[in-house]
Amino acid sequence: MLEIKQISKQFRGEAVLRDLSFTLQQHEMLSILGRSGSGKTTLLKVLAGLEAADSGTVLLEGKDLSQKPANQRGIVYLYQEALLFPHLNVFENIAFGLRLRKVPEMEVRRKVGHLLERLQLPEQSTKMPEQLSGGQRQRVAFGRALVIEPQVLLLDEPFGALDTETRRSMQQLLKRVAKDLGLTAIFVTHDLKEAMLMGDRLGMMDGGQLKIYGNRAEFIADEQTGALEEARFWTDLQSIKLTK
Amino acid sequence: MSRLTKIVLIGLILFPFAFLLMLSLGRQWPYPVLLPEQWSLSNWQVVLGGSEGLGNSVLLSVLLSLSVATLSTGLSFWVSRHIAYHPKREAWLSLAYFPYVFAPVILAACLQFFFIVGGLYGTFGGVLLAQLFITFPYGVIFFSSFWNERLRSMEELVKTLGGSTRQAYAKVLVPVAKGALMTCFFQLFLISWFEYGLTNLIGVGKVPTLTLRVFQYVNEANVFLAALASCLLIMPPVILLWLNRQVVFQERNI
Repeated sequence: MLEIKQISKQFRGEAVLRDLSFTLQQHEMLSILGRSGSGKTTLLKVLAGLEAADSGTVLLEGKDLSQKPANQRGIVYLYQEALLFPHLNVFENIAFGLRLRKVPEMEVRRKVGHLLERLQLPEQSTKMPEQLSGGQRQRVAFGRALVIEPQVLLLDEPFGALDTETRRSMQQLLKRVAKDLGLTAIFVTHDLKEAMLMGDRLGMMDGGQLKIYGNRAEFIADEQTGALEEARFWTDLQSIKLTK
Repeated sequence: MSRLTKIVLIGLILFPFAFLLMLSLGRQWPYPVLLPEQWSLSNWQVVLGGSEGLGNSVLLSVLLSLSVATLSTGLSFWVSRHIAYHPKREAWLSLAYFPYVFAPVILAACLQFFFIVGGLYGTFGGVLLAQLFITFPYGVIFFSSFWNERLRSMEELVKTLGGSTRQAYAKVLVPVAKGALMTCFFQLFLISWFEYGLTNLIGVGKVPTLTLRVFQYVNEANVFLAALASCLLIMPPVILLWLNRQVVFQERNI
């Protein structure tokens, strides 16, 4: 379980995170909806150990992570861009974390092979990153993160750069993989539908403050999330069509 | 471009090198004879025999330039990364231009006192350090445009995947920067290889690099030895240029 207690962070005197507290249960995916500049990326970077919080604590399975460097936290942060290493092929990109840990070759082949199958990439294993499509690159990025079995996965708008069709198929793929592997993850996005689709629980971030909703109905009922406005739009559109 | 134009162009490029080689093989060339009257390998035998000390100068120059290029490429790569991500990036970077505000010789004259006090005057180490004053800032400026947010994110990604800073350099940053590192190394090697003012002033003739030798022979009006030294002077950069080209082309084909 990941526990975040009263995290605050300022940049040049401006509060980016204000006293944030929440918990993330094991095998749970928390979707956080937020506009640009709401502080969601900073929150993920603080959790990953890439930014230091001004105050507050981050506990993972009861252990304080505040003083632990990013490479010892067991938390992987995935960016909007796939950021594949351009000098390595697909297999070696996925195997990267295992190579860092000097895992025996047989074990590397087994684990990477398994992930290539799961992410529908077995034919791409010897290709270089520039030979892949946007969706394939993002799948390799997932594979690279999942192969080291992180305790928590942080996804910072991972489908933001993909076209609508690829985005939809990637959402389904991630949902399926998350369920199969029992991932514990935080998924941040500015897309309302994506947030609702991906999260087991939903949250809304605004002005450095995070509101976690008890259930889906609460999230929809809150005007701030924009879910009601979206629903009204589609209802109005439907009624216009019917009257015509 | 026609075949003839190509031949003329290639001929024009190769002519100075062929001319130097021809001069290095000549012995007597009185005016107005078109070509030297005698041809001999004796100048080259002098080099190979070591009696003129040219062979030692070649080795000294290669050692000096390789050391300067290796040290300043590595150091400037590392330092430029820290400068690039520093909040006061512009201020730090402007310091790198400082050695170029003065001419290298004026810089050397300013540093002379410290080199004498430090016992580095007229030594290999002294010349190496003096050249670093020019090559290191050049490397920092060279790499300043290399670093960007994407590379920074990659470095952060390596860390969240469990890698240390050393592993981020070894497994990602250096391989990704291979082309830039090679180009920088090559340029710094050339700066060091052809450096005259600083080397002459700090080395006080006790560190006779090949470039100093060429000037010495030119001053002595020894055209044949000057030509020979020039041939030697050109050779390592040409080999390095070829190697650099191979690496760049290899990278493009990946």
